Amino acid sequence: MVLVPPVPLLSVQDVYKCFEGASVIEECSLEVGRGEMVSLLGPSGCGKTTLLRIIAGLERADRGTIHVAGTQVAGNGTWVRPEDRNVGMVFQDWALFPHLDVAKNVGYGVSRSKRSAEVANTLELVNLPGMQDRLPETLSGGQQQRVALARALAPQPTALLLDEPFSNLDSALRREVRAEVRRLLQTTGMTAVFVTHDREEALVLGDRVAVMDAGRIVQIGSPAEVYQEPASPWVASFIGDVSLYPAHADGPVAQTDFGSIPLLNARQGPVEVAVRPEEVELHSGDNGAGTHTVEEFEFQGADSMVTVTSPTGARLLARVSGTQSFAPGDRVCPSYAGPPAAAFARSGPG
Amino acid sequence: MPGHRRRLLPDPAPAESPIVQPTASRSPVLLRIVAIAVTVGFAFPAGYLVWRNFTFHSDPLGVLFSERTRGPLLRTLRLAVLVSASTAVLGTALAWVTTRCDIPFRRMWQALLPLPLVFPTFIGAAALIRTLNPGGLLSDWLDNLGLVWDVEMRGLFGAWLALTLFTYPYVYLPVAARLRRLPGSAEETARLLGDRPLAIIRRVVLPQTATAISAGTLLVFLYAISDFGAVQLMRYDTVSRAIYTTRLNNQPVSMALSVILLVLAAVVVLVERGATRRFEHAAPVRSRSPVIYRLGRAKPIAVAFLAGSVALALLGPLASLADWAIDGIRLEASGGRDLLVGWDDVWAPTWHTAYGSILAAAVSVAVVLPAAHLVVHHRSRIGTAANAVIVSAFALPGILIGLALLFWTLKTDVGSHLRNTLVLLVFAYIVRFGGQTMRTSQVAVAAVSSRLTDAARTLGAGWGRRFRSLELPLMAPGLLAGGGLVMLSVMKELPITLLIAPFDFPTLTTKAFNSIEEAFVAEAGIWSGVLVVLSGVLTWLFIVRRADYFD
Repeated sequence: MVLVPPVPLLSVQDVYKCFEGASVIEECSLEVGRGEMVSLLGPSGCGKTTLLRIIAGLERADRGTIHVAGTQVAGNGTWVRPEDRNVGMVFQDWALFPHLDVAKNVGYGVSRSKRSAEVANTLELVNLPGMQDRLPETLSGGQQQRVALARALAPQPTALLLDEPFSNLDSALRREVRAEVRRLLQTTGMTAVFVTHDREEALVLGDRVAVMDAGRIVQIGSPAEVYQEPASPWVASFIGDVSLYPAHADGPVAQTDFGSIPLLNARQGPVEVAVRPEEVELHSGDNGAGTHTVEEFEFQGADSMVTVTSPTGARLLARVSGTQSFAPGDRVCPSYAGPPAAAFARSGPG
Repeated sequence: MPGHRRRLLPDPAPAESPIVQPTASRSPVLLRIVAIAVTVGFAFPAGYLVWRNFTFHSDPLGVLFSERTRGPLLRTLRLAVLVSASTAVLGTALAWVTTRCDIPFRRMWQALLPLPLVFPTFIGAAALIRTLNPGGLLSDWLDNLGLVWDVEMRGLFGAWLALTLFTYPYVYLPVAARLRRLPGSAEETARLLGDRPLAIIRRVVLPQTATAISAGTLLVFLYAISDFGAVQLMRYDTVSRAIYTTRLNNQPVSMALSVILLVLAAVVVLVERGATRRFEHAAPVRSRSPVIYRLGRAKPIAVAFLAGSVALALLGPLASLADWAIDGIRLEASGGRDLLVGWDDVWAPTWHTAYGSILAAAVSVAVVLPAAHLVVHHRSRIGTAANAVIVSAFALPGILIGLALLFWTLKTDVGSHLRNTLVLLVFAYIVRFGGQTMRTSQVAVAAVSSRLTDAARTLGAGWGRRFRSLELPLMAPGLLAGGGLVMLSVMKELPITLLIAPFDFPTLTTKAFNSIEEAFVAEAGIWSGVLVVLSGVLTWLFIVRRADYFD
């Protein structure tokens, strides 16, 4: 299933951008529906922040058009300055104005007449009442994050852009703030695009996930789609732990040395199948018999990650329950117990 | 900006995915033109001096290497080396004791030790002469105890002592700032590995403070070769004093000496450049709590060391200034002798001093800002060049700038229009001290990071609003700090003011200097007292309170 929003609120068409001769964005297109939340996921330097800044108007694309709420703001000779786009942005380091107190930061983008009411409302919304007079440097990281969010929301922007909004928080706080932000954006019905290099964050927060690599959007889809039906081996491994296991496809099924795996799309010949570790079960072989050998065992609490190798040297990851225990050298029999998996063409014998 | 003051240094960029750098966009043309014009201005006095030296008379090199120039050169070098060595030791030791030892009243010592900077060296030297010479305060006092004191404050010894006492803060400040920032963990590790305190100092502390010590010492060296006030009063014939005495009756020698001094200053600048490049990797980390050593039985010695330094470099001179002024006032009250200063007369020089220094500070900040902007926000080559010239001009001894501009106004038509004008004086001040604002201006400009202006743009703020609400308030602390340093320096400046100040523009320094030279002791005490109070306020505001900034 491919979700195409009926009326895109934000539309990016064929945007291309290069810095000093090297392209950083290559023909990116993206449509975001009203009230939708899209996460832009990619490794450092893939161009995701640049794409966000182009949408905000802080960078100019070399080619391509951008529409916000049906109005063209960039491309084909049109140029609307960022201050006139009414697109809010939360910066990676929050970029709070250090010399202004919380109320003045939040009220910065609001017209004078509505300022005090809007500031009070928004601070209420982000759960920061009574902080009006504090300077940013006196706030904790989580509080600064919420001030930054409040500042971007206060002028009631058409859409909100968030650039790695949680990367400056420590991991315990991150989960809490993340949930809070999601609730907040859902209750306000805000359309949002946010950039992250953290796959978990992207999956949790996005209604859809756009995976970027080297300046291109390589896949867009719902979190489940992107996870279960990756468009390429790269996406498969970037979005989560995966084994790209050699197999021989014959129509809707691929044969491996530990049994058959159903495929999403029919294929023929040598392939590699994207096998998620949680879909592999391990059975202890009787009397030391087993097709695969345990190479590494990592106890992680609720579950454990086991790396096993086949006689031909292929490696397979398996996530097993925390109650199961293996030691390196154990002989085991893996089996596949998941939904149809993605397979990619592979050269060489299979 | 209450509450914002401490954030003078820009935050480091977060370590996660790199912030998109502002594109090294082409800088505005106007900005580049202004920067080039300012650079030419800063280079003018030195350039004029060199050009003049080689066009003025037939045998420049002959004079350059004659007997007339060798003596002063050797004396200058001898003095500068001695002063550098003694300030390096004194400044470092004071910094170590005040930051690393369990001394009582730490904050008081940390506040008092930079204060000898309030004395222009000629006033300090005069006070030393008055206090320590036979017949001075100290020998009077020792006489009462039946002791004889006959060390005369003159020549090399006097100049060395005066410069050491009044310039050690240039070493003390950066070293103390560095020591405060060094993480204690390295010292604790050394301790756990079995080092005794002295070994820790030698093997851990000194290597980590080496940059600060060498930077401070170079500054002192520069100060010593360019100093005019102390050597003039101590009658020690260094290059700068020789330039002053020969400027009217033997211009070829005066010019040749100027070029020698110029070369010397240039060498120091080059060494400084090389040194900072080599030591760039030394990264200071803000420390949780520095290691504090228990001195035990050595504590009285350490306190005596601090007290002695403060007494010699600060309290003694202050006491003798007060002594002069009070003596004179008492003498007049008893009808003994009329003071040559009426209270009305104090106002004009004080006003001139304040006016000249504020003017020079404001214009310095304004003219340096374009170059700082080019360097920080555009990484422009013109900016880098302007930066180098402006900062290097700070190494130009004042006597050279004064002499160059004096000759220029005397010998050229263009220059003659500016003879005896305030414009020329302020220009000279700016060339001499404007470089001091470069670093603070860069900090100021960098405080307006593009992220903040980006954030303001996404919130709908146009150019005017961004300037009013962000750029100006964010830059203000840095600009004020730079301006304050210039004000303080101009206030204490002697040779430029002596050479080219308009006749009707006496300042506190020229008044004090002339009174000292003519032995009007009471008047000297009054002028110096006012000057010291003024510069004391500025030193407190811009140096002591910002001590951490010197690292």
